[in-house]
Amino acid sequence: MRYADFTPYDIVLLLQGLGVTLALFVGTTVIGLLLGLLLAVVHHYRVPGCRPVIVVVTEALKNSPVLVQLFLVFFGIPAFLHVRMTPVEAATLTISLNTAAFAFVIFRSGIESIEREQIEAAEVFGLSRARILRLIIAPQAAAFAVGPLIGILVNQLQVTSLISVIGVFDLTKIGNILNLRTLQPFIVWAVIGLIYYTAAKTLAHFGGRIEAALRKSAQWGGI
Amino acid sequence: MRFWRVIEPYIGFLLQGFALTVAACLLAVIGAVLLGALTASMRSSGNRLVRGIANVYGDVFRNVPFLVQLFFFFYGLPELGIYIGAFETGVIALSIAGGAFVSDVILSGILTIDPGVIDAAKVSGLSRVKIFTRIVLPIALRVSVRPMGSVLINLILTSSILSTITVNELTGAAKIVAATTFKPFEVYAVLLVLYAALTTLMSFAISAAHRRLNRFMTGG
Repeated sequence: MRYADFTPYDIVLLLQGLGVTLALFVGTTVIGLLLGLLLAVVHHYRVPGCRPVIVVVTEALKNSPVLVQLFLVFFGIPAFLHVRMTPVEAATLTISLNTAAFAFVIFRSGIESIEREQIEAAEVFGLSRARILRLIIAPQAAAFAVGPLIGILVNQLQVTSLISVIGVFDLTKIGNILNLRTLQPFIVWAVIGLIYYTAAKTLAHFGGRIEAALRKSAQWGGI
Repeated sequence: MRFWRVIEPYIGFLLQGFALTVAACLLAVIGAVLLGALTASMRSSGNRLVRGIANVYGDVFRNVPFLVQLFFFFYGLPELGIYIGAFETGVIALSIAGGAFVSDVILSGILTIDPGVIDAAKVSGLSRVKIFTRIVLPIALRVSVRPMGSVLINLILTSSILSTITVNELTGAAKIVAATTFKPFEVYAVLLVLYAALTTLMSFAISAAHRRLNRFMTGG
């Protein structure tokens, strides 16, 4: 007997794939944003020797294919350092670093969008560095950065499909399995595409609402 | 250098892969710009149906991962009785995906045009096609050199994904070399630097083109 037809169990399989994709996306987003933020702060305070390293590494990550980065981490690092690495670990490491590189650039321009005078004024008022960062820089940089960040995250969601190439059982991998079993590429890839599309649209929708909420404080609200 | 001696016999093979990447990117850029200009003109049209079709195309192909699109074409086209090679499939998929992004860029270029310019062209008695090809497009393209450049760079990076459908372009060739020499770290590290150098050079060229095309503009 050949299991060439679609079965109800395929829905479970799809949901499982979607779960892996979303879990990896959320995990790498959290790590990537935190790391990107850390890099932007380090860059802002001119920690000696850090600036050129950060800029070169993030530019290399932004300007090379994610697929090559994945291969470098998944095949290269274990062979070079003689360590074991599972596909999920390699995928998490690579996508997190990639997200961090994009987030760093956005956070940096967010910080640079704040006028020097504001920080000087805060210094004159005697605010500490940490308080200036928390009360003056962070809220304005966040409002500036949230729009571009949403765009990057929608993009990164699609980038996660590449991890199927190194053997993570994400949504695209499930699509591969179903495609090979049922030999119905049109239905399978249309469904997979639709799921990704819905996920991207949902993300963009909620991102837009967060952006509107953050920008509210920047608008004139009357006295 | 030990690594160089290991890699030396494969240089020709890698260069072949590089040539394939360049060919795929060139063809895809032409396809994407043509498709993007067509879509942008449709999206700026007064007809709601035409606008709707173009919007759906742009929306779908920007929100579905390229890998999924590629598999859709690679496995789907033979189902329709269209038997073309993996390279051709890859170029078509790249053009279609690129076209969606290019249409966005050109459309925003079109929207920056002062309506007075188009009114003046209409008053001068130019036909609608002439207005679009002679007035609107040249201005829109000039404004959109820089964003178009980042789409182009993205296209180069995306072309590495063609290696998943058996096209041995640069990444595909490097994969084979990494497997035969068992030096994956060195091979992929060099590849990463190569891609980064290529796209960085590209962005310099784009900045130069932008300055050259906009040399009569003031204030920018």
